[in-house]
Amino acid sequence: MRDYWLSKLFFDLQRSAPLGEEYRGSRKKILDRYPLKPEVRAALERDDVAFLAARVNPYLLRFYFVVTGMSEAEFLSKVRTAGADAAARSSHG
Amino acid sequence: MAKLVGVFASSHAPLIIRGWKDVSPSRQQELTRSFTELGRRIKAARPDVLIEISPDHWVNFFIDNLPSICVGMGEIHDGPAEPWMKDCPYKTIAGHPKLANHILQTAIELDFEPSVSHHLTLDHGFCIPLWRGGLGPLPPIVPIIFNDLEPPYPSVRRCMQWGTMLADAVRTYPEDIRVAVLATGGLSHSIGEPTMGEIDEPFDHECIRHFEKGDERPLIEFLNERLPTIGNGAAEIRNWVAAHGAAGKRGFELIGYCNCPEVYVGCGFASWNLASV
Repeated sequence: MRDYWLSKLFFDLQRSAPLGEEYRGSRKKILDRYPLKPEVRAALERDDVAFLAARVNPYLLRFYFVVTGMSEAEFLSKVRTAGADAAARSSHG
Repeated sequence: MAKLVGVFASSHAPLIIRGWKDVSPSRQQELTRSFTELGRRIKAARPDVLIEISPDHWVNFFIDNLPSICVGMGEIHDGPAEPWMKDCPYKTIAGHPKLANHILQTAIELDFEPSVSHHLTLDHGFCIPLWRGGLGPLPPIVPIIFNDLEPPYPSVRRCMQWGTMLADAVRTYPEDIRVAVLATGGLSHSIGEPTMGEIDEPFDHECIRHFEKGDERPLIEFLNERLPTIGNGAAEIRNWVAAHGAAGKRGFELIGYCNCPEVYVGCGFASWNLASV
């Protein structure tokens, strides 16, 4: 399933360099504009790649973390860990 | 009547632009050679119009309204919006509304249901092959967006049918113009997934072998079986399938293949065999 407002936030951020800059300066200010579920907003605030990955298109996820300035190495590590965790959960029923 | 004078395919990995300096010199050379040869062949075909098939990377469409296939019939399209494509020479790109409209009418007549846009932004998927292929001044472009990014995707079979229909549309266009087709995207890659960075080179070679042989059914069966098992970026091979249909399924000549881990993509470049040009 896709989380609509999370997806919309990512979509808007990757389309507008000024918005991306604003977001890097103050996440709170931008996040306040979107009716995000509390748990989604919390995941954004702690850069929880695994939580977010389950709720948005993978390309938007990737674009988002480019916009936030997360290093490529860190993103790759987190997204791969997210996959390993999901596989482990799945194997435990 | 119009004539189909060339059918081509090219990868379009963003890091070919955004991360070029990190690509090894030997792979830079290999990619440059392939792009240059692709551009040379497109220019040699002397198209008056180029039909270009590419996905939309969340530039024009969103999940509130996501067409499966959209034909761009504007007089003018915008060049790429991505900040890292700022040096791309194509800020605006002329369209060809008359051919686009003929494609639409042909599609409707043959029971296809295309979406339509009168003003598209052509992102890196459209522009990297044109730019790196060194095409210089572009012929007018009829952009066709295939949804290769967000499921549900159009079926592989339907993409093949789209290609066949495009060839019909070109053949029945009443003006005496030369038309080429360029499909972009693929081959294997994975973006934003746990498998990000993985390139399935054996898959790519098998895929290339199917396109070279040309036989429709084994190609479709192979892709139906394998696409769901590999990275999401390979969904873009649907665009190559449409090109294959447009070219009459006669097989293609591989211009180049480069397993390029620095750009996360098994990069492929090809030119189809046409009956008579």
